[in-house]
Parts: sequence; structure tokens; C-alpha cells
Amino acid sequence: MAKSSSTDAVTLIRSLRSAYAATPTNLKIIDLYVVFAIATALIQVVYMGIVGSFPFNSFLSGLLSCVGTAVLAVCLRIQVNKENKEFKDLAPERAFADFVLCNLVLHLVIMNFLG
Amino acid sequence: MAKKFFCPLLLLLLLPESFSADNPTDRRLLILVDDLTIRSSHSLFFKSLESRGYSLEFRLADDPKISLQRYGHYLYDGLVIFSPSVQRFGGSLDQAAVLDFVDAGHDLILAADSSASDLIRGIASDSGVDFDEDAEAVVIDHVSYAVSETDGEHTLIAADDFIQSDVILGEKRIEAPVLFRGIGHSVNPSNTLALKVLSASPSAYSASPRAKLSSPSLTGSTIALVSVVQARNNARMLITGSLDLFTNRFLRSSVWKAGSSNKYEKSGNEQFVTEISKWVFHERGHLKAVNMTHHFVGEKTEPAVYRINDDLEYSIEIYEWSGTSWKPYVADDVQVQFYMMSPYVLKTLSTNLMGLYSTSFKVPDVYGVFQFKVEYQRLGYTSLSLSKQIPVRPYRHNEYERFIPAAFPYYGASFSTMAGFFIFTIVYLYNK
Repeated sequence: MAKSSSTDAVTLIRSLRSAYAATPTNLKIIDLYVVFAIATALIQVVYMGIVGSFPFNSFLSGLLSCVGTAVLAVCLRIQVNKENKEFKDLAPERAFADFVLCNLVLHLVIMNFLG
Repeated sequence: MAKKFFCPLLLLLLLPESFSADNPTDRRLLILVDDLTIRSSHSLFFKSLESRGYSLEFRLADDPKISLQRYGHYLYDGLVIFSPSVQRFGGSLDQAAVLDFVDAGHDLILAADSSASDLIRGIASDSGVDFDEDAEAVVIDHVSYAVSETDGEHTLIAADDFIQSDVILGEKRIEAPVLFRGIGHSVNPSNTLALKVLSASPSAYSASPRAKLSSPSLTGSTIALVSVVQARNNARMLITGSLDLFTNRFLRSSVWKAGSSNKYEKSGNEQFVTEISKWVFHERGHLKAVNMTHHFVGEKTEPAVYRINDDLEYSIEIYEWSGTSWKPYVADDVQVQFYMMSPYVLKTLSTNLMGLYSTSFKVPDVYGVFQFKVEYQRLGYTSLSLSKQIPVRPYRHNEYERFIPAAFPYYGASFSTMAGFFIFTIVYLYNK
């Protein structure tokens, strides 16, 4: 039983990797960017757990910059994905411009809240 | 020469004003009597008042010319009612006028006896002291009576259950028992303004000595023989059911309490009535608080506003009136509150023994409109209640700490996501 479930898991991961290999490169870049943002957010949460929540505004802005970045990147990914029929009328250039504008606003807010 | 000429004039001008907040001892006393023989039968008490600088004016209680005030100003600082049997006062004086007199901050001595009228009982009960309702009843004590040749009913009582208060009865202990003959009264225990100064012994009861005894309404040490009331405006009242307490006969009498081996040559009455009249007429136990100040530690001027977590120093001066001058008041239990709806800081003030009380503390981490409050109520002393308002503000936006080392990882995270965004943009745009 245990042997069969571990082989199942291996098969599952293999099939996931082979399926993911078919993803276009630009979406893979976005995925990497999201992973980076989430990892930074996790590091900050762990650090806050150790040091304490004293400059709480700094913590919030640090965390929210990562979370906001990840959310915006996911939004971009939804909009530029060719297989997503919902946004087939939206040009990828327009989606990217929206992404850049939102990021600028986000980082402006973060800078004001950081210190 | 001119100065000498002006002096009596000046004195005349000052004399009616001699009672004031800066000089709180009473000066002009009106004494109401049933008949003028009291003037001689109680002369020792009156002489001791006169020798302490009081001017006494004797009037029959039903004199139609009595009036306490003229043109809205009180003519007297204190009122002594030694007329227990008067049914109606003369002139414009009545029960309400007596209470108005006290409400205006003036003092009252009320002595009744077994002939006490409804008027006298009414004044007493309006002051929070209830005489025994039975008109025949007097205080009887078959255990701690004063041995005498004439009194077989044990209505002459040798009382020595005094209140423990140096400020009311003076520092010198009253050794000899006080002779008392009259009616008892009770004080509601929940009344914080009225104090029993002299209580009856546990074996006393209040009943008519001639009628058959059936469950007396007042018994034991709940019977108050002499009570004082200090009103919220610091007016003081002395109420007793014995006019004889003040007579020359009792003041000069020897006293031998039944069952006691000590026979005193002189009763405690003289010391008792002298000391307690000093208290009633504000020769003792009158406090004033002045110069309430506060400032930042190390500064002198008083700021208009404090910031949260500021360190401040607070000081106040408290003096006690000694009858002739203001002396520094020394105590270790004066406290200041830093108060907004409830005390955020409660500090005991330390004194320099010259009347100055001070402390320092940190403003709490709460902003709003605070008050410095001193509420000082001690047995026998006039109550002090002062407050001073002061706003406390939060930090201004440029007063917060910047670049805290503990927050560096957060700064780093924000900037690295920004750099990440920049790199991502380039990579994303040029990867084709």
C-alpha cells in the first residue's frame, strides 16, 4: 500500500512536470517572479515571529509589498494566458501596461507606509 | 503720626472682613439662649471663647430682632444654639435659615437637652443626626454612671469613649471622663460626613427613667452623646443632647466613674469642650492647597500641552491653619491622580516638610484631555479637592523614530521586490 502510494506520488509529480514543460516561457517567468515574492513574504513573517512586531507599519508594508506584487503578477498571468478565453480580446501589451501602472501605485504606497 | 491715626480706622475696616479664606477661623458668634442665666451658668465656656478672640453676641432665641444676615451678607461666622426648648425662633430666623447659614459655609453648635423642641430636633435631623424620638427619654447607664449624691437614676453619665482623632480633640489625651446628662442621638453609619465624637458605653440605653422600661429604641454604643458633622463645603457642626455638658458646674465638677478606682478632681468637660470648639470654629484641621504646578523635568515653566510618554514634575503646597497662621502640613499619604475618566497614574507625593509636596512621573501612552487631581479627605481635616486640566497629544508625524535597525529586513524586502519588479519587466519584455 505504502509502496504503491509513493509510486503514485512520483507519477503524479512526473506528469505535473511534463505538463508544466508545455507552458509558454513568458508564463514561466511570471511564475518564478510570484515564487520569489511569496518566499520574501514568508521570510518576513518568520522574522517578525522571532523579533516581535515592534515597527508594525514597516512589517506590514514589507509584507504587503510582497503580497501585492504576487497578486498583481497572478493577475497579469491570467490576462496574458492564451488559453484563457475570457481575456482573448485584451491585448497582452495593454495587460502589461496595467500591471506596470498598478505596481507603481503599489510601491508608492509602500514607500509612504514603510518608515 | 498719620500712621497711628489710620491704624484704628484700618482695623475697623478689616474687622468685619476678618473671617476669610486666608483667615478661616470664625470671629463673630451669635449665641441663642432660652434665658440669659445661661450666660452666667455657662460662663467658663464663653470666657474661653472670648479669650481666644471671638466676639460673642447673646440673644434670646425668641428675640424678634434676630437676623443672621443683612443686605445678603452674614453678620456672624458661627451660631451657637443653647436654647433647647425654643418652639420658634424670633425675627427672620427659622429652621431653613439656620441650614442656609451652614450651607453658606458657617459653623454651628447645637446643644439640646430633655426638653428639646421639634425645631431643635428638626435642625439636628436635617444635619444627619437623629435625637431619640421619645420626648421623655434620656440616656441612662447603670454601669458607667458618674457617682453623685443626688442622682439615683444614673442619668449623669461619665463617658470616655472618645473618637481617636488628634485633630478633632487635640493632641493631649483627655484623661478624665466627660460628664453628660441629656438625650442621646444616633448617626446613620452610612453618613460619611457625621462622626460620633463621644459615644455612650455598651451598657447605656435611652429611655424615660420614670416610665416602665420596654425595649428602648437606642442602646449601647450606637448612642452618640456628642457628634460632629463636616459638610461638603467644610462647614462644621457640633450636635449634642446635653446642654449641661458646657455648664460651669460640670466643667468644675470632680468625677468618679462607677466601678473605677480613679477619682478625678476635675472632669474632662473643660478640655473636651475647649478642644472641640477649637475644631468646630476652624482653629484646627483646616487645610488649604495652593500653587498647584507642573512642568517638564528640568524646566520651570508650565507647558500648555504634554506629549505622550513625556516626563513631568508635579508639585502642590498644602498648609494647615493653626488658628493664627498657616503652618506647613506634613503627611505621607497625599496622592495625585493623572485622570481621564479614571486615574491613569496615581502617585503618592513626597513632602519637603515645608508644605511642598512633589512627585514626578511619566505621562501614560494615551492621549486626550487629562486632569491633575488631588482628592484628600482625612478624618477631622477639611477636604481638599483640586483639579487642573491639561491636554496630552500624540507624537507629531516627524517625531517618530526613523531607520530602526529591527526594521531593516522589511526595508530590504520592499526594495528587493522593487528591484525584482524592475528585473522582471526587462526579462519579460526581452525574452522573445
